[in-house]
Amino acid sequence: MAGVEKNILNRLYFVAGCMFVFALAVVFKLVSIQVVQGDKYRAKAEESTIDRVVIPANRGNVYSADGSLLATSVPKYDIRFDAVTPSTKTFEKYVKAFSDSLSNYNGKSVAANEKNLRKARKNKNRYYLIARDIGYSEYLRFRSFPMLSLGAFKGGLIVEQTTKREHPMGGIAQRTIGYERQDADGNYTRPGLDGAYGIKYLRGTDGSRLKQKIGKGRWKPIADYNEVEPKDGYDVYTTIDVNIQDIAHHALLEQLEKYKADHGCVVVMETKSGEIKAISNLGRNKNGHYYERLNYAVGESHEPGSTFKLMAVTAALEDKVIDTSDVVDTKKGVLSFYGKKVRDSRRGGYGKISISKAFEVSSNTGIVTAIDQHYRKNPKQFVDRLYAMNLNQLLDIPIIGEGKPFIPHPDNKKSWSGIALQWMAYGYGVSFTPLQTLTFYNAIANEGVMVKPQFLKEVKSFDEVVVPFKKEVINPQICSKETVAKVKKLLQNVVEKPHGTGHGLYSKSFSMAGKTGTCQKDYVNKEKLNYISSFAGFFPAESPKYSCIVVIHEPDKTVGYYGADVSGPVFKKIAQKIFTDNPMVDTIEKLEVVDENVESRFNKYFELAEKHITIMPNVVGLPAMDAVALLENMGLKVKMNQVGKIKKQSIKRGDKVRRNQEVILEI
Amino acid sequence: MIASSHSADTKVHEIARMSNEVKELRSAFVDGRSRLMRLKMESSIVQKVADKGIKPSLNPPQKIKVKPTTKN
Repeated sequence: MAGVEKNILNRLYFVAGCMFVFALAVVFKLVSIQVVQGDKYRAKAEESTIDRVVIPANRGNVYSADGSLLATSVPKYDIRFDAVTPSTKTFEKYVKAFSDSLSNYNGKSVAANEKNLRKARKNKNRYYLIARDIGYSEYLRFRSFPMLSLGAFKGGLIVEQTTKREHPMGGIAQRTIGYERQDADGNYTRPGLDGAYGIKYLRGTDGSRLKQKIGKGRWKPIADYNEVEPKDGYDVYTTIDVNIQDIAHHALLEQLEKYKADHGCVVVMETKSGEIKAISNLGRNKNGHYYERLNYAVGESHEPGSTFKLMAVTAALEDKVIDTSDVVDTKKGVLSFYGKKVRDSRRGGYGKISISKAFEVSSNTGIVTAIDQHYRKNPKQFVDRLYAMNLNQLLDIPIIGEGKPFIPHPDNKKSWSGIALQWMAYGYGVSFTPLQTLTFYNAIANEGVMVKPQFLKEVKSFDEVVVPFKKEVINPQICSKETVAKVKKLLQNVVEKPHGTGHGLYSKSFSMAGKTGTCQKDYVNKEKLNYISSFAGFFPAESPKYSCIVVIHEPDKTVGYYGADVSGPVFKKIAQKIFTDNPMVDTIEKLEVVDENVESRFNKYFELAEKHITIMPNVVGLPAMDAVALLENMGLKVKMNQVGKIKKQSIKRGDKVRRNQEVILEI
Repeated sequence: MIASSHSADTKVHEIARMSNEVKELRSAFVDGRSRLMRLKMESSIVQKVADKGIKPSLNPPQKIKVKPTTKN
């Protein structure tokens, strides 16, 4: 018996021992999890319920000079349809009406839309795209569509919202306003001002705060302050004038369409300050439509052709090697250097003419002869003069991708050649962007003060100016005042003189000055030969307020290609618009003007009115206006057929009249 | 403790809803603004009134200014 008892006790000890060891193991594990691996697990737990949430900063807006929005960030919506969610009953009930509403929106037939919806349901498509990138008002419209109005769980509506950069002006100045976009590899493309000032001003800095998961896909902030406060981006105010921009855009578009040109640009600059009032760049796509493709005005460096004659003549005048009255021989319209020919656009040339006329008729041979004569032995002097006028320098504007100007230098044997000087004289073998050319023209308009093109007025944070932008002077005097006055006169003559290439643009009511340019492009291969038609200048001619350049590439040769015909009208339209928008002010000394004529007529009328109260006066010869007043004051009823001077009256002069008597006046 | 935590949660939902509303209103504003801007551009007005025979004037408006005279 005792043996049995002992046996049981032994087993009990054994079980107890096992349980103790087990308990020990549990405690060990507990401690090891809590203490040894504790940090790791605690971190893991936090990760799944607590998150550091980025609070995106609002990107600043881009405004025009008058405060119109040019670029801003807005939510855009993608509308999708979960074709599986709606019950069969709901689907069948609403599918027809839904297709009908949809066809109102997308223009497809009701049947086609219904077919697509049914197909999506059959294929169990839970993500059928209905509309992409729509604005808020459109989004609201979709919300009211049959089926979709039932919401996400019954109707299968899926709304995805993203923030997009929007240009309220649409295609206008889009390239210059620009954007900042990141591709899949994290590389940025940054055209225009939005791109250029993205990092510096517009972006702002993102904030962040810790949040805890609380269900329904929502997160609750842990602390009641943000760990890192977001800082919204600044607003950027550009110098662009919406009205001028609108005119420039449409004037350019019209000309491009008329001449079926490849692309073109126009820039309007305020003379004194260098502020860019309008900049438009339009290029043709495959379908023949034009839209803002590239910033040609800033990025495209090309041979300027005849518009460069201004620089050549300015340099020569400044060096005092020529004067505008000097006579040059246009050599029957053909010059030859090392077997290469310089030709005039008019066959046979212009005979012997003054340099000013050579400039005004844009004689290639005339200008080339003058430059060749005086600089052949020392081309370095000519090029150095051009360099001194800052023509070989980048403008250093904020927009990324400015085209490099190019003027070969005789010291650089690689780029210099025997005909470089002569070709340079009429704008070949050198290269500028339209904006660089304009900057020079503007300097001439601005009495020789070369100012940098200014795109920004100021950077603001709400109403507070953060960074003001002031006008920057590149060169306080590119040439003497006398030279400026001379070339200004030349530019004015191009439009005003009947022989000038720009005379077709002449208008009696307002004055302009400028230079036409018709430059050959791709001239190496005669079959591909094309033209660049340009017009650069300023207005009003006497005291310039704006300068402007228009460059149109590859107009259809069968329609026309001369700078004056292709680009000139754009220039004129802008000049005219600005002219008609600004009221002409006549100042007079005082309001009381005594006109003898009026005075004597009034006295006559007054005398009649005083004298005749009941007796019919003679009104023949009086203006109808006066007669009516006179007779009606007497209480007569006047009938007449038209206005003018009275020829006949129905009541004779001197007859007594009574009130409400009818009198017929013939005119 | 539990009650206040719940009220905090409802506030979070409320804020989320309202910030969505702000976004929508902002987007409605920009939408309206951009339509207005397109409508008020001279080129679109010119098109709209062209069939009524109205076109922009070729002459600028005349402004008559009277020189202020100092009264004795």
